[in-house]
Amino acid sequence: MIGIVGKLIARRLVTAVPILLAVSVLLFCVLRALPVDPAAMSLPPSATLEEIEAKRHEMGLDRPLPEQYLIWLVDALHGDFGRSIQFRRDSGSLVATTLPATIQLALAAMVIAAILGIGGGLLMFRVRGTVLEPLTDLVSILLLSIPEFLWGLILLFVFGVMLHLLPFTGQVAPDLPAPRITGFLLIDSLLSGRLDIFLSACQHLILPAVALGLAFSPTIMRVLRSSLFDVYHEDYIQQARLRGLSEGHILIKHAFKNASLPTLTLAGVQFGILFSGTLLVEVIYSYPGMGNLMVDAVRNADLPLIQTIGLTYCVVVLMINTVIDSLYVVLNPKLRVR
Amino acid sequence: MPSALSRSLRSPRVLIALGMILCILLCAIFAGRIAPNDPSDQNLLAILAPPAWIDGGDPAYPLGTDSLGRCVLSRLIYGARTAMLVAFFASLGAMIIGSILAHISGYFGGTTDWIIGRLVDIWMSFPPVILSLILMVGLGVGLDRVILAIILVDWTRFCRVLRSEVLIVTRHDYVSAARLLGFTHWQAIAREVLPATLPLLITLVSLEMAIAVIVEAILSFVGLGVGADQAAWGQMIADARQYVYQSPWNLLLPAIAIFLTVAAFNLLGDGLRRTLDVRLAESGR
Amino acid sequence: MTVFALQAKDIVVSAQIDGNVVPAIRGLSFDLPPGKILGLVGESGAGKSMIGRAIAQLLPSGFEITAGSLVFEGEDLLQMPAARRRALLGRAIAFIPQQPMTALNPVMMIGAQFDEHLARLGEEGREKRRERAVAALTAARLPQAGDLLRQYPHQLSGGMCQRVLIAFAFSSNPRLVIADEPTTALDVTIHPQILRLVAEMQREHATAVIFITHDLRLAAQLCDEVVVMYAGRAIESGPARSILSKPAHPYTRCLQLANPSLREERQALYVMPDQMPSLRQLKGMTGCHFAPRCPLVTVECRQAEPPNVAVAANHNVACIHAAGVPNIGTTEAAPVAPKTSARIVLQVEKLQKHYSVGGGLFGGAQKFEAVKEASFSIAENEFVALVGQSGSGKSTIAKLLVGLEQPTGGQILLNGDDLTDRSERTRARRAVRLQMVFQDPQSALNPRRRIASIVTQAMEAGSRHASWDKRLARTRELLAEVGLSTDIGPRLPGQLSGGQRQRVNIARALCNIPKILVADEIVSGLDVSIQAQLLALLARLRAELGFGMLFISHDLSVVRHLCSRVLVMYRGEIVEQGPTDTVFSNPQHPHTRALVSSVPPDDPLAPWPALNPVVATGEPVSA
Repeated sequence: MIGIVGKLIARRLVTAVPILLAVSVLLFCVLRALPVDPAAMSLPPSATLEEIEAKRHEMGLDRPLPEQYLIWLVDALHGDFGRSIQFRRDSGSLVATTLPATIQLALAAMVIAAILGIGGGLLMFRVRGTVLEPLTDLVSILLLSIPEFLWGLILLFVFGVMLHLLPFTGQVAPDLPAPRITGFLLIDSLLSGRLDIFLSACQHLILPAVALGLAFSPTIMRVLRSSLFDVYHEDYIQQARLRGLSEGHILIKHAFKNASLPTLTLAGVQFGILFSGTLLVEVIYSYPGMGNLMVDAVRNADLPLIQTIGLTYCVVVLMINTVIDSLYVVLNPKLRVR
Repeated sequence: MPSALSRSLRSPRVLIALGMILCILLCAIFAGRIAPNDPSDQNLLAILAPPAWIDGGDPAYPLGTDSLGRCVLSRLIYGARTAMLVAFFASLGAMIIGSILAHISGYFGGTTDWIIGRLVDIWMSFPPVILSLILMVGLGVGLDRVILAIILVDWTRFCRVLRSEVLIVTRHDYVSAARLLGFTHWQAIAREVLPATLPLLITLVSLEMAIAVIVEAILSFVGLGVGADQAAWGQMIADARQYVYQSPWNLLLPAIAIFLTVAAFNLLGDGLRRTLDVRLAESGR
Repeated sequence: MTVFALQAKDIVVSAQIDGNVVPAIRGLSFDLPPGKILGLVGESGAGKSMIGRAIAQLLPSGFEITAGSLVFEGEDLLQMPAARRRALLGRAIAFIPQQPMTALNPVMMIGAQFDEHLARLGEEGREKRRERAVAALTAARLPQAGDLLRQYPHQLSGGMCQRVLIAFAFSSNPRLVIADEPTTALDVTIHPQILRLVAEMQREHATAVIFITHDLRLAAQLCDEVVVMYAGRAIESGPARSILSKPAHPYTRCLQLANPSLREERQALYVMPDQMPSLRQLKGMTGCHFAPRCPLVTVECRQAEPPNVAVAANHNVACIHAAGVPNIGTTEAAPVAPKTSARIVLQVEKLQKHYSVGGGLFGGAQKFEAVKEASFSIAENEFVALVGQSGSGKSTIAKLLVGLEQPTGGQILLNGDDLTDRSERTRARRAVRLQMVFQDPQSALNPRRRIASIVTQAMEAGSRHASWDKRLARTRELLAEVGLSTDIGPRLPGQLSGGQRQRVNIARALCNIPKILVADEIVSGLDVSIQAQLLALLARLRAELGFGMLFISHDLSVVRHLCSRVLVMYRGEIVEQGPTDTVFSNPQHPHTRALVSSVPPDDPLAPWPALNPVVATGEPVSA
């Protein structure tokens, strides 16, 4: 089995390369098509035309587009992703600083979404045939209609502003230091032995992660429920009943595993979307992640930074897809054995 | 099809959803007549006024004013127009591009399918929100740009979902039979495949409208939406965020507006899915 | 007093249809002695599968048992608390399903599922369970049982899956096994093996078996007793061989006569009109439910349901005219094959089709030969059969002939024109001269088109657009040709029965009066009585319109009845061809022999060698 998963990952890596190249080309073209002039933006407003021209030459903006792209590519392969115009630092390092926070948030949110989603899905399935079924169905549709930024705002308002229960700004209490070892605050605080930082970080993580998790759980709920429905119509469930197995046993040992396959596929797709949803939540909660950085970059037309962050989002989503696909292969014997 | 249509119209979900959408549509169309004030009219003497039924409220501004003294109710109503325009045109555009490619891809298979499939893969490896942000940076603000951005991002979803359905339908013998009887490929697609995929198409359009409203709200929230001169719910929320202590209503009302609109489209999509998909309707799921 | 393994008394199963309560099964009674095999025989919709589900109390929603008793070894299953009944399932009462491939959880290994089953039966210890599983699988004649335990269901063939399920069923030493059409979904040559296995295990464990089937001849060979069901009622019951050699109910007799024979003298099939009433139609019916189709019907028949009468010891029948049954016969003469001129219409020369399977980015693709150099011809008005099992390549040949696939070699000549080039002109010409009737009427008719639009679909094609009036006129003609009334025109396929849909299918193919029809398994999956109607229809159409046909089927009896020549396919090759009678009475190729021996004999009293192989000593051998 390891061999098959290994082969899958290898194949994925091979196909990922052209995808990433194509994506980077796409990004590059879109951004170069801007009516903004990065050279003018990186100089003070009093700059003369010659100074701007000189800057353009320095930044290589007067060369033909394909050449600019190749320069960028070669630099990128060496780890140089271009200098951010706003922050005057290498974009790569900026992203590396903020990425862990976003990943932390996304993972926490995914766990919450999974728990709520699976629990909700099982509940919705349990009440099938009863009066509660249309009710739970309706509730799930209504929950589905609240996007993550609305959840973020609601939770902020209710728990942060009105009830003063939880903090809603930043990653950690402002008076506490943020140790940097791995970049993941939760891990770093434990590694430094500072339980107070850890607790503060957790507190600050709750609202944004719950907001994101709540936004994505209804889809998981509904897919799990409909997959369970589909599975229950299958022959082997009836056969299991005819062999005298109890309904509970059938649900857990037979139905769930089969129903989890399509649910997993969907969860994978959802994680990609969830990951991009971190952007808004970070903005709302002033969470120092990649999303906030992106919004800044976009507002200031900081092209190199936008490009780097965009690529990073892509890479993460591709990795997530690969993991999900591998998991799918592990769980579904039909794909494994010839 | 007619029987499916009458079935749909008897479903309570569909009816309620259509009702809600109709209300919002009416607001959008007749915004000029219904709104009490001009949505961009600033009255700096009456900023952050609460709704009329609370102390300090002004009946001239039934739902209060925002930080620049603009009438919240009017902005909500005109925001409905923005939302509906985006929802309608963006989903239509995404649907047209996505379904054409999906049908070609699923019906012909082979190399065509592979190429379109790879195109969709590449496009979809981009998280949609990020892509639409980047596109907006590239395209600039404005209502038409927003619609274009959403079309360019979301056609892939249509394509992927519809393609599976097209594959299933094309496998049926009646499609082969049509070819055998002398139908050209296009006749076969138009007369045999399309009527079968139409229910899913309609459902997807409805769901896409929900997504379009959300994306528009997000873009306006971030400041890259339809532009400051037009009223948009996302923008109202972004504004209201800073003054949430003084005027929580300004945050709540556009949020509710977004929620109700999105919920209406989702409900419609779900209701249609149940009634139009014959298999589902029969098995009672 | 014998304690019966299962005793059913006046069982009534009611169904909720459109707000009304309809008795789906009425007054069913039978006694099954321990260690005997009871056959429940009937066409689809007769209610035979319902009994199995009733025993397990797993009826579909809307159905429930409203009267009667079902006594299993002294206890009434219907009065039992649910927990006690569930305890019996899988232990004392076991089931063998119809579709073996989907009856096992696809994501669990066979071993894991067996382990779960044995654990439930109370077997302690992983090792012991494993040993027992291996023993059970070996007893089911599965080789390398130990390795099998680590495989998944999709890695096994249909026959192997069924053996696994039989092993499951008998592993608990059950007192009663219900086998619901266990061979229907399997290839024909596997049938005798599976039936032999069931018979063996039944003998070994002295289990009572309820064997549900639609095949009369099969029931005669395998079962001790038989109950014939029609529209939810047991219309005849008694010893298997006497019922089938001397049927007392008109339906049984008609059903026998509607079955084409493989070995006996060729006769016209008895065609029963219409079909068995559905549950909806049952609601308003009074009197005998078979009356509308019965050749012996009189006024009294429609007044009340006939009571059960004993015609011989243990042989009961529900008919007031049982005495007249032996006189039922076909009045038509045996079908005469029309004079076929020697003019060849379709000539196929060395037709080949290869597929490249597997392999990825780095090559490694294998060549799969679906069809290896097939050559045959069809003359004017000749019906030629193509028989073979699934995977033999017969469907591929059909697709190659009609152009759905392109051959990798060889030629197809229709009236001298080569059909293998891909030009539009060829395609258009082919559309007129060569048509296909597809197997699955569900998938072959667009559920959104009205029947009138379907049968004249050919007139919509390409650039010629016939006017609606012309189409309506043609629709009327075509529907009349295939024996359907014109008021079917505005209906949708979903509102028609299987037999009606198949007629529409045929009508559509005949719209432009082709020279050659390719019929891919068009009567498989239809009830025997409907099948008889369609076969008669095809013969009539040939006489009236004149066309040749390539009739693809796995059912040798049907083929022998309808076609004058047969081609036998095995693994992509035509291994034998010739006149039907010659090939079937004296098969040369081992595969043909296997196919022929898999068909149970027409005479219920004659032995079936495949089921009970007889060695030189004359003693039956349990193989």
